[in-house]
Amino acid sequence: MIRAPAIGTSAAGGRWLARLIAVLAIALGLIGCGSSPDGIVLWHAYSGAEREALETLAAEWNGAHPDAPLTLVAVPYDAFADKITSAVPNGNGPDLFVYSHDRIGDWAAAGVIEPIAFWVDDPTADRFQPQALSAMVYDGELWGLPLAVKCLALFYRTDRVTAPPRTTDELFAMVPASRARGAYPLAYVSADLYGHAPWLSGFGGSVLDEHGAVKVATAEAAAALAFSKKLITSGVIPAESTGPLVGTLFNEGKIDMAIQGPWFVGDIAPGVPWAVTTLPIVSETGRPASPFLSAEGVLMSARAHDKQGAFAVMQFLASDHAAVLRATRAHQIVANVHAYDDATLAADPVQRGFRAQLAHAIPIPATPAMRTVWTPYASALAKVQTSDTAPADALYDLESELRRYAQTPDGAR
Amino acid sequence: MTRATPPHTGAQLRDWTVASLFALVVALAVFVGHRNHALRARQLELADRAAAEIALGRPPIAEAEAAGIVGAPHPSATHPFLHPRTVTGPTGTRPLGGPTAPAVDKLLYDAAERYDARGPFVELASDGSGRAIAARPGTGGVAVAVIATESPEGMPWLIILGALGLGAVIAAAGALIGGAARPLGLAIGGALLAIPANGWGGMGATISIVCASLAVTIASGRGTLARAFAGFRTHRVAIAFLAPASIAMFVLVATPFCVGLVLGFFDHQHGQWSFVGLSNFGEILSGGGRAFDDPLNFWFILGVTVVWTAANVFLHVTIGVALAMLLRQAWLPGKGVWRMLLILPWAIPNYITALIWKGMFQGEYGAINALLHAAGLDGVSWFSSWATAFSANVVTNTWLGFPFMMVVAIGALESVPRDFYEAAVVDGATPWQRFIHITLPHLKPALGPAVVLGSIWTFNMFNVIYLVSAGKPGGSTDILVTDAYRWAFERGERYGMAAAYGAIIFLVLLLWTVFGSRIGRREDKS
Repeated sequence: MIRAPAIGTSAAGGRWLARLIAVLAIALGLIGCGSSPDGIVLWHAYSGAEREALETLAAEWNGAHPDAPLTLVAVPYDAFADKITSAVPNGNGPDLFVYSHDRIGDWAAAGVIEPIAFWVDDPTADRFQPQALSAMVYDGELWGLPLAVKCLALFYRTDRVTAPPRTTDELFAMVPASRARGAYPLAYVSADLYGHAPWLSGFGGSVLDEHGAVKVATAEAAAALAFSKKLITSGVIPAESTGPLVGTLFNEGKIDMAIQGPWFVGDIAPGVPWAVTTLPIVSETGRPASPFLSAEGVLMSARAHDKQGAFAVMQFLASDHAAVLRATRAHQIVANVHAYDDATLAADPVQRGFRAQLAHAIPIPATPAMRTVWTPYASALAKVQTSDTAPADALYDLESELRRYAQTPDGAR
Repeated sequence: MTRATPPHTGAQLRDWTVASLFALVVALAVFVGHRNHALRARQLELADRAAAEIALGRPPIAEAEAAGIVGAPHPSATHPFLHPRTVTGPTGTRPLGGPTAPAVDKLLYDAAERYDARGPFVELASDGSGRAIAARPGTGGVAVAVIATESPEGMPWLIILGALGLGAVIAAAGALIGGAARPLGLAIGGALLAIPANGWGGMGATISIVCASLAVTIASGRGTLARAFAGFRTHRVAIAFLAPASIAMFVLVATPFCVGLVLGFFDHQHGQWSFVGLSNFGEILSGGGRAFDDPLNFWFILGVTVVWTAANVFLHVTIGVALAMLLRQAWLPGKGVWRMLLILPWAIPNYITALIWKGMFQGEYGAINALLHAAGLDGVSWFSSWATAFSANVVTNTWLGFPFMMVVAIGALESVPRDFYEAAVVDGATPWQRFIHITLPHLKPALGPAVVLGSIWTFNMFNVIYLVSAGKPGGSTDILVTDAYRWAFERGERYGMAAAYGAIIFLVLLLWTVFGSRIGRREDKS
């Protein structure tokens, strides 16, 4: 017969022992949390092939530097920027992190990131594509080394288009042939500032003035807005296109060309013949349509505990060797121009097309004011494209709305 | 009146422990504050002295981790943001910086950069390392000195343990003597740490320790402490069961809620918080100077939110009850299959449903317009006018919301006795009369709370608005939560405004819950 254990006598002693062990375990756990790991910790939001490429590079680094190992921490993209903003000032963040350049303005102002010009000499800086490097500069200081760049370029179906349009006049001339087939010549995410930016710059407009203040109500911007509406009314593009829709239409042959970024390559269905080239010149002005450029860079936390070691890792990740690996394995459009000495990369049509477009790309301003522009600008675009609102009126409303956002409730700032 | 029996030594020591724990926390806190302050002052003084010595051309003092005269920047011809400098120290002049330069050199370089921007300074390094840095004008450049972090002096455990031990003896002695000596011993023994704390933290710490000790003495004399301990012992099982949920509620609900309320009184711009009082609420409730028909005026958004909630809840309840009644009909075959199919919209994550509907409402290639075309009608540009965009949102949310009401109604209908209907049929009641006089009264107790719950969910239905119409056109279909989101994440991180919105949304829903349930109760009574 099995006897139940006596409760209260021997079990009481056991309970105290269990409590003691629990308290000790918690204390040890807390001590473990408090101690910082050796080496360099890097946060990134990569997934898939980009993550594998980074992990390969980290393994290489750790093989060569067992005394200062690199630890990778994958952090979900959505929470990334807020985590950095809140964790670093309390000393809990990483030593390095990989992020797009458009937050540099906030982080520099808040003392979250470390200026790195101190370690960078001319030969190091010469390795990078100038636009990509200039994206890492804010307020006259260099804040990171660029790893990869993203911008829009012109994808076209080679079975439909033999010679992609070099000017917007040539683009409009494609309408009759395309419409006869029940297709449109082009599609892009038209009610969105990122998609609209090539036309804005092509007409000589911009979002911020030379002092970094919001200045959207200009004659150039109005001309670009009117042009975006003309694209719809003349049947160049379908209205209300979203990113996924552009992909579907391109694969189904309902559009001949798409303005999209490097990520679009993965959306194109197998069997669809395609190529990528530069955006056309705006015939009205003779200026090239220049898309926004966003550069992904490796940035250093202002609280990094071994800054010299951290910079060595930054240099390694941005090096020629690492760039070739990231470009071949993860198909990144890398910022290191030496990577294109590699024969495979130099021959890669996607890399070639985007490199050509990069020469006419404008880094997204990294000032905090820029981040307030996206949604209201998209509203203004939608308003002009779907109603009779005059472009100049829509831009005037947009500018007064944006000025409102820049004011504090009591109007102090 | 019977006097309480005088507590014995054990109880006296227990009460002394309560007073001493408080005194210990205060004493430790003021000691650490006092120690860090003194250390900081010493570091800064050293750094300033070292920089002064350097500026006069003398060798750096022994405590300096790095020091020297940092020369002017020489911007690179090709990359103007690169501007290397040199440093002159006892060993001569050398370049500052480069790919393998030591980290401490960077402190000299950064100090010179900051000096050029702001002038002379003495401060602790902003990297949390505890170093002190000073920069002053020097001959041929900026005189910079860095003082390394000093390890702080240890905790004065000997003094603390001595004071505690002596306090325990005094308290115990008071208890043994009895009478007036008992409270006197407790008060003095519990306040003994006030003496060293006075040296560390000034009068504030001393007064708070003495007051706490006196409070404990009074509570002990009245028996309050004894009752509290006894109560804790009696109910310890209940307390142990309540603790996990209470802690979770406190950490996950109460804390964020209070933080959110407080944030509403602050403004956040570019990483800086500033107290603005009621300005955020004022700006929201005044509409920010916008006209009432401006889609970004708070009252317009509130109106849209109310119409949105009312339209949805009405459709959810009507369709849900109608389908529940239909599923009860005896002639309907395959009831289980129908029920499962009708619950499906609820089972699919709502953002997936929202994205599917958004695609179906697309102007040129969407399924809805394709159906309209097939029926010989013109397609609609759904998101270019308020009425169509709002309808698209309502259709999507109705699809998502009716299954819940249907399930609630099915459950409630099960409880209606069949005899009621049979008796009504015998009495010659029409189907409509049966619905009004039998079905509805039985549905009300279950549907009432479901309507309150459903209206709160709909009031805050972020996903559908954000994903389907995204506020189009021009923000006019935004509801309060999506507008709060835009303040937080699309208008320059104005978290204070978003928090104020949150507080207002909470108040509106609180009023609705209180009044909604009261109306329900009044109807029940009548």
